Amino acid sequence: MLLPVNTKCECGHQNAVGTVLCESCGKPLEKELLESNEPLEMRYDGVARRSQKANPDYLDKIWNFFSSVKIAIYLIIITFVGAMLGTIFPQASTFISSTFDPSVYYAEQYGLPGKIYYFLGLHRTYTSWWFITLLVMIATSLVICSIDRVLPLYRALSKQQIRKHHAFLKRQKATYSTTLAEDEAEWTKQYGQALRKKGYKVFVDESGTALLAEKNRFSRWGPYINHIGLILFLLAVLARSIPGWNVDQYVSIADGDTVPIVGTNYYVKSEGFKIELYENEELPEELKDSGRIKSFKTEVVLYECSANCNDDFEQPTLTEVHQHTILVNDPLRYKELKLHQFDFNLTPRINAVSPMVVNVQTGESYGPFHLKMVEPELHYEVGPYTLELIDKYMDFAINSEGEPITLSSSPNAPAFIFNIKGPGLAEAGEVFMYFPLEKDKVRFSQDTINRELANKVAIKVEGMENVDFSAATTHLNVRIDKAIKYLWIGAVISMIGLVMGTYWQHRRIWLRIDDQQLTLGAHTNKNWYGLRADIAYALKHCGIELDPKSLDNGGHKG
Amino acid sequence: MNWLEFSSSSLGVAFFLYVFATIFYMVAIAGKKWGKKDPKLHEARWGKIAFITSTLGLVAHLLFFFTRWIGSGQIPTSNMYEFITLLGMTIMIAYTIIYFIYKKLLLGMFALPLAIIVIAYASVFPSDVQPLVPALQSHWLKIHVTTAALGEAFFAVGFAAALMYLLRTIDFKDKTKNGKRAQRWLEFTLISILVVIGFIIAAFGFKGAGYTASFQQENASVSQLGEISTTTETVEYTMPPIFKPYNSEAIEVTPFLGMTDGLFETPSWFNGVNSGRKLNTVVWSIIVGLLLYGIIRVIIRKPLGAAIHPALEGIDPDDLDEISYRAIVIGFPIFTLGGLIFAMIWAEEAWGRFWGWDPKEVWALITWLYYSAYLHFRLSRGWQGKPSAWLAVIGFVIVLFTLVGVNLLIAGMHSYAGVE
Amino acid sequence: MGKNRKKVQVVVLLLALLLGGYAIVQSFTSNDSGLVKEGQQVPEFRLANLQGEPVALEDYVGKPVVINFWGTFCEPCIREMPSFERQHEQWKDQGVEILAINLSEDTLTVSNYVKKLGVTYTILRDVNRKTEKRYGIRSYPTTFFVNRDGTLSSVFVGEMKESQIEERISKIVQQ
Repeated sequence: MLLPVNTKCECGHQNAVGTVLCESCGKPLEKELLESNEPLEMRYDGVARRSQKANPDYLDKIWNFFSSVKIAIYLIIITFVGAMLGTIFPQASTFISSTFDPSVYYAEQYGLPGKIYYFLGLHRTYTSWWFITLLVMIATSLVICSIDRVLPLYRALSKQQIRKHHAFLKRQKATYSTTLAEDEAEWTKQYGQALRKKGYKVFVDESGTALLAEKNRFSRWGPYINHIGLILFLLAVLARSIPGWNVDQYVSIADGDTVPIVGTNYYVKSEGFKIELYENEELPEELKDSGRIKSFKTEVVLYECSANCNDDFEQPTLTEVHQHTILVNDPLRYKELKLHQFDFNLTPRINAVSPMVVNVQTGESYGPFHLKMVEPELHYEVGPYTLELIDKYMDFAINSEGEPITLSSSPNAPAFIFNIKGPGLAEAGEVFMYFPLEKDKVRFSQDTINRELANKVAIKVEGMENVDFSAATTHLNVRIDKAIKYLWIGAVISMIGLVMGTYWQHRRIWLRIDDQQLTLGAHTNKNWYGLRADIAYALKHCGIELDPKSLDNGGHKG
Repeated sequence: MNWLEFSSSSLGVAFFLYVFATIFYMVAIAGKKWGKKDPKLHEARWGKIAFITSTLGLVAHLLFFFTRWIGSGQIPTSNMYEFITLLGMTIMIAYTIIYFIYKKLLLGMFALPLAIIVIAYASVFPSDVQPLVPALQSHWLKIHVTTAALGEAFFAVGFAAALMYLLRTIDFKDKTKNGKRAQRWLEFTLISILVVIGFIIAAFGFKGAGYTASFQQENASVSQLGEISTTTETVEYTMPPIFKPYNSEAIEVTPFLGMTDGLFETPSWFNGVNSGRKLNTVVWSIIVGLLLYGIIRVIIRKPLGAAIHPALEGIDPDDLDEISYRAIVIGFPIFTLGGLIFAMIWAEEAWGRFWGWDPKEVWALITWLYYSAYLHFRLSRGWQGKPSAWLAVIGFVIVLFTLVGVNLLIAGMHSYAGVE
Repeated sequence: MGKNRKKVQVVVLLLALLLGGYAIVQSFTSNDSGLVKEGQQVPEFRLANLQGEPVALEDYVGKPVVINFWGTFCEPCIREMPSFERQHEQWKDQGVEILAINLSEDTLTVSNYVKKLGVTYTILRDVNRKTEKRYGIRSYPTTFFVNRDGTLSSVFVGEMKESQIEERISKIVQQ
């Protein structure tokens, strides 16, 4: 667009470069525009954007780039098209396993398209440099577009001239002119009164024959408030990358255990995980016996460490700070910490047994003695017997070389090797292998391993009350999100701006009467229908009845 | 009669009232040319009757909603049937609001059929009350789903007005390249609507005929912890298998036109739940929709758009343009609140993160970005009228994809929302 | 107005560049494993050895340290232990310390294994697995080579060959 060089209007007002309509009287400044018959472009009241300058330098050019609404729209379009691409296949972030390998997964699961998808980096679309860059550019555009428009608009709206140029009035999208018989000032006054009833603020100039009625100017600030909210929101999202502001980890707790939440000063104990299914009578026909889950919950106690916290040698001193029953939609919240129900595992875990030592020959049994799976005592005196623990395996197995090994550190198949001394046994003691779990006893044939010793002595658990086990393991998601409150503030501000800008409309009606000739023009940013109704209502009040639609100058009448 | 029975009969009543209201609207418009009376009076009278009928329909629909709520003890927004009927209801609410603002009769001629199609579509899904799984047991279910649906309903009304605008303004005598292209796309839009109707007909037709087929499908899946496991499951079909499930064997197939096994196999990359059956359904919908279109073409002997065009002659296109824009403007903040902000609050509570780039979330964001681009386009000169009508039509396609397509094609955390 | 405008432009664009640049740079670094990064200070710890005495990382300030995470259930961990033992013999005169942190197993189990393998370097016991998590361990064995100043020289995930151990130890000794 060629900018007019002489920006001084005939009304005497000096306008900034880039001004389309005189800031004072509204006369179109460009010759071409003045001669046309099209309705006027009323964006930002025709004032110059801040950035419009006669000789832009390098900085101005960057600024102008971001200041353009067209560029903003392109950025939005590119962003949502990019976002679409990210939903073609699942994102890599949906797999939380450490063994998940995206380079294999996509090719295996989706073939060639999967390979291309991975190659293009679309498996991490939303954390990719180009997607983040787009968001950054949108944010920049939000700031610059707003700064560039809101200040000039504010200036233009805070010092409006009442008597506008004829060309300005006649070329509004809603316009009307007629010849009046009544007294000019009296008519203007009457018209103003009618508009006041409709909630307009009415200004009349000194002569009493020009009028400006305005309503809901505040709605013009809606978009800018919305943009401020969005910027706050995006800054809050960015703030989450500050170390410690966004914690996201998982803890697994077997019933009854207390585990530390690493990276915080908290410990959490599970008092038990419970799952409840719907009864058949609560279910419709096709869901009966489907095992539909009614609820799952974990009762937890939260502790804060008060001493020896960063020292793993000493026992930490824990103070209970909070108790909660965690449900899917009801996490534990304590200060900034949140614990969410994530998953569960119903495999029981054995913690300890209290077996009897039995003299197989006499049938007499002694005990029980308490045998823990983790860090058990090494020495036991049970009746006439002495048991010395010489080795133990948590997850017993025999490796390829025929040696006993443990497969993990969890008590999946615990095995204990005792040296037993007592009646009828060798002086130095005899080696006895004990599997607390019945299934392991059979699987590894305990009696065969112990040979003739199995006929002399036995270690037996009598009844389930002598077995201490955790019925389930709960998996909790630990979250700390320090930015979240700023995020909500941003969202609320953005919402307020949005509602202001959409559910209210800025309406202005100008009129001037010269020699009994009434010229009226009106403008709104949205809802012309309502504006026309207002004009017609007030005209009717002054004795002119017309179809509101006839006020439309919508560019079709030429 | 218990609450739930009363509730489902209310929906039936609402459905028929909507159908009658549509007919009355047609009488109001088409009857103007019958000539005996003053056409304006005729339009006003029948328009009033039609609006009252549609409002009664909405009352019945609201009764359906609240009695089902009382009867089941949970807000009816938790499965596909309930959600789609809710959408139909919110479309009617949005339409009624827009009607009170603009008092434009003709909008009903398009908004009502839209609501009717939506309700008919809903009734394809099983209508049983399903008790809530733990993830849905939250008061945010009520707040998030209803507000999001209301926002989307305004977009739907914006779409209806935009479609009317296009039918009204596209010149069917225009033989230029651009004119031809506009006619083709409009016809394509109308055919798409027929495909949706085709789906409803196919679903009810085969259901009525008692058609079933079942397949044994072998699935390899990778769990969240990265373990690969294979499971076999039986997939039940209610339509003849043009596409059978990926990697499956027929167990029992009712013969249909000599078909005893699937004609084709669903490609493996369709990865939603029961993707084979869904693809098959889509294919059937297209076939029936095109058949329907063919029949209509044979009867009217001209493009569908050209046949509707004259009925809209009396309407001011500027009004339609403004109604479409206004409906979207009203819907946008509601959608922002319900579809994004409330969704984020709920996600923060249920999953610990306000945003997780789940496909449904992403598509809600895409919808939002799309409509914000639309609103900015409206600021530019030359984007009013036809271009923005097309944008409103495409926008509604995106809304539909977010609501239905995501569940159909993409697996994600929202997959429990469907029953298919 | 004119001068002011320039100022606003510079400030806004600079802020956009800084914050935006930070966000974009983050996108390059955010998708790694969570292990302690090279050049960073490794986390402190104070753990019990097999005799039940406390051993802290800060006891070794000024010495090159190798921290190895292992468990008896982890076969590659057991396989690489003799190599570490030989390397320990080779470098101990130059002050190199090997701290092998066991992953929350019983004293009895660990002692039996250490006796069997004849390991003489320091064995520590991470009973509640806090140290393991602080170091961001995801699989075993994982070995950290720490410079004299307590910063990480390198990290190796998986079983190590003796030559690899030697190469990395000589690097932290020379540094």
